[in-house]
Amino acid sequence: MTYRDLLPRESLLWIFAAQLAVLLPHFARLPLWIVAGWIAAVYWRAEVSRGRRPLPGRAFKLVAVAGVLAGLVLSYRQWFALEPMVALLAVSFTLKNLELVTRRDAFLSLLLAYFVAATLFVFEQGIPHAVYGTLAVLVVTAALAAQPGGPSARPRRALGLASRLLAQSVPLMLLLFLVMPRLGPLWAVPQDSASASTGVSDSMSPGDFARLSQSDEPALRITFDGPVPPPDQRYWRGLVYSDFDGRRWTQGFGVDPREGGRVTWRDSERALPEVGPRYRYQVIQEPTHNRWLFAMARPHSETGGVGETADDRLVRSEPVYSRLAYDVHSWPRDSLPGEPALSEFERRRNLQLPPVGNPRARAWASRLRERGLSPGEISAEILGFFNESFTYTLEPPRLGRDSVDAFLFDTRRGFCEHFAGSYVFMMRAAGVPARVVAGYQGGEWVEGEQYLLVRQYDAHAWAEIWSAGRGWHRIDPTGAVSPERIRDGLQRAAADEFMREALLPVHRIPLLNRLRLQWDMINYRWYRTVISFDSERQQDLLRDLLGEISAPRLALLVGLPAAMALLGIWGWLWLAGRGRPLPPAERLYKRFCRRLARSGIERESGEAPRDFAKRVARERPRLGPMAASITTAYERAAYADDPAAMKQLRRLLRGFWPLVRRG
Amino acid sequence: MQKIISTLVADVGKVLLGKEHQVKLALACLLSRGHLLIEDLPGMGKTTLAHALAQVLGLSYKRVQFTSDMLPADIVGVSIFERDSGQFRFHEGPVFSQLLLADEINRASPKTQSALLEAMEERQVSVDGETRPLPQPFFVIATQNPLHQSGTFSLPESQLDRFLMRISLGYPTREAERALFQGVDPRQQLRQLRPRVDRAGLAGLQQLVGQVKASDSLLDYLERLVQHTRQSPECPVGLSPRGALALLHAARAWALIHGRGHVLPEDIQAVLPAVAGHRLHSDSGDGAQLVERLLRQVDVIAA
Repeated sequence: MTYRDLLPRESLLWIFAAQLAVLLPHFARLPLWIVAGWIAAVYWRAEVSRGRRPLPGRAFKLVAVAGVLAGLVLSYRQWFALEPMVALLAVSFTLKNLELVTRRDAFLSLLLAYFVAATLFVFEQGIPHAVYGTLAVLVVTAALAAQPGGPSARPRRALGLASRLLAQSVPLMLLLFLVMPRLGPLWAVPQDSASASTGVSDSMSPGDFARLSQSDEPALRITFDGPVPPPDQRYWRGLVYSDFDGRRWTQGFGVDPREGGRVTWRDSERALPEVGPRYRYQVIQEPTHNRWLFAMARPHSETGGVGETADDRLVRSEPVYSRLAYDVHSWPRDSLPGEPALSEFERRRNLQLPPVGNPRARAWASRLRERGLSPGEISAEILGFFNESFTYTLEPPRLGRDSVDAFLFDTRRGFCEHFAGSYVFMMRAAGVPARVVAGYQGGEWVEGEQYLLVRQYDAHAWAEIWSAGRGWHRIDPTGAVSPERIRDGLQRAAADEFMREALLPVHRIPLLNRLRLQWDMINYRWYRTVISFDSERQQDLLRDLLGEISAPRLALLVGLPAAMALLGIWGWLWLAGRGRPLPPAERLYKRFCRRLARSGIERESGEAPRDFAKRVARERPRLGPMAASITTAYERAAYADDPAAMKQLRRLLRGFWPLVRRG
Repeated sequence: MQKIISTLVADVGKVLLGKEHQVKLALACLLSRGHLLIEDLPGMGKTTLAHALAQVLGLSYKRVQFTSDMLPADIVGVSIFERDSGQFRFHEGPVFSQLLLADEINRASPKTQSALLEAMEERQVSVDGETRPLPQPFFVIATQNPLHQSGTFSLPESQLDRFLMRISLGYPTREAERALFQGVDPRQQLRQLRPRVDRAGLAGLQQLVGQVKASDSLLDYLERLVQHTRQSPECPVGLSPRGALALLHAARAWALIHGRGHVLPEDIQAVLPAVAGHRLHSDSGDGAQLVERLLRQVDVIAA
């Protein structure tokens, strides 16, 4: 190893900067000890470059590797998942700092940095992350450009060169984005499903939805092809809770496809009418890490991997780890023929109640039942009761052990989950099959892009009851208390309580609201155009461009721009390399030389005109006199700046065609 | 004008048979106010050339034979105490002449060499704190033996640069040598040479050299040549701006000698070996081959 191979200090600093840039977004996800380890390794390497400490020996490195592997095993129980793999990458990146000696090591580390920068997009694909990823790549490229050290390591210069390089690579990037085949993953790396999921969960206990109301994160974006349902029809069903244990509502056995619930996959067994009213729309769903999707009742989806369950929901064959778009057709229930009778199993399931608890509610329910009312009348009684004396609030008081009793008869203040839960409890107690449905209700219509934006605070719970002849139909107990919640959304219904946590009354400032919508619009467009550009969209686009997709046409699409670009670069280089144009006399003389060359006498590069003329006279005596006079004219024109000679040269050249041989 | 020049060339040619090219080069060198270095073996006519030039140009001529024990004072002069007047009087050395032939300059010690070279550059000498101008015009024709001869001190590069040209005479052709055998003794002829031009005429010729036209096309060629020497890996040292300027001056003088009011590429090619040969060094020996290649590689016409 020579001194030339050693890393200058400034290129070392650049490497650290590049590492920080690519690791920073992972820091939140990585275990803390990896972050600490990275800092320690960087510190050590910096001390080495200051001459205060030697590089670690082989034994130390082995111990470090062993320790790190043990740490990874302890931190991540499962090995073949995405996060441990990224952690492994980060750790190897960290350890490489301890043997960062030669330029080769530096290049290795920086190439690894590109890879780490790319892993960011496995987790996040939003605009801020894309911007950050680009910046990180810029820093890594600048670090590469700074490797020679000295003046090229100056930040301005390195970053300038890197941005020029990246800018130059943009056309290629766009081309590859359009035509590069989208390969499916070679093997599926399971993502950590333990990570906190946002949105509606698979169980409902008091307080869950109130917590969701604090979040204005987008949940769904829905575009309609055709009519848009009125606000009071916008119930995006996600989950059905049939099982109540006295406090919690859960899906219960036989509904969750994970536990063997019946899912109708795309080859639909259930015949749906070909004609008739239906809503056609596309839902873009934020990652939920869960398998259920959201759609209006009686949905059907043609999107691959999406199936329908027996309780009119959509589920996906695998959890939604990244934004997912799916197309849905929804038939309003009223337009469908009535359901046949409920099966005995379903009836039992939807009448299930815990054996004990909530005695006052049960007693009231049995009174209603004894009066011999129909299910509709019972429902009306309960809703009327809600309407009389209940308050819709985001901050309900705490409920005791018998939560339904406490809500119905004591506090009478609650949120959608309280109303839906106690309503279903009452209906079941009164002998009417009922279930709680959770999902989103409403949404904000975004004028500019024509889509419905559903946020987390639109999360809602309502009820469905079964009656012979009508089948399952929706009852929203919240609507009985606070109709504006259904019509105008939570923000209006509980405006005072809504976002009390926030420092500023953001929802009161129209400008900010508009900005928020604008930002969501940009996000939406980003997703529609960039992220969801999968192989299917690619094929569509290529078909639009090419008519049909065939190898020659594809080659044309790739080759033509590439050839044009190369031609452009060549032309530019040629123009730039030509310097200033030749003086006219020399141009004419060169023409003379070309004509002679065609007839077999070529001027050598160092040969002065007069010597050349002499040689011409020697080799082709017939051409001699003409060549001599042209040369003399040229000499006078080029070296004595004689305009008359210029004219003469032109005239002489006009008659000089050595290839035309007479006789 | 042209007649004067051709007479000059013819007259010197009578003494130095068959060396017309070298005579013209030497004349071009003097006309462009440069000093001349002649490198050749003893007995090739170096001294004769210098002497003949001095004769026909009507210049005062002195000759110094350099030896290794020479001191700067032997060239520049020395102040000697004169008893008659009771004070020091400066005795001018041989450098106070219009044409100085410094024979075998590389036999002298570097100290002496540099005293002469300094005088060549400054065209004045400083003795005992007093600056004395040298006569006008002032030419030095130095001769040196090829370096591989024993007992020589090679001139350093910086001093070689002071000479506008370095030429070598070479053996005469057979015809020239036969004529030499059959003809009159060259020394005899030398004495018979008469000045063909007076001081004013010489100054006029020198002025004319500056008026010879060098067109843009020609300067382009010159530029290409110079750039080639600076960029080609073959040349460890490129031509200095002084070297490039010397090339242009010499080419102008050459054009004038050939009766032209403008410089042609041929003129540059003719003087290039003499002007650039000693300024370029190559690792593989002499600059002569380098110049040869340079002439071949650089295109006369812009690409």
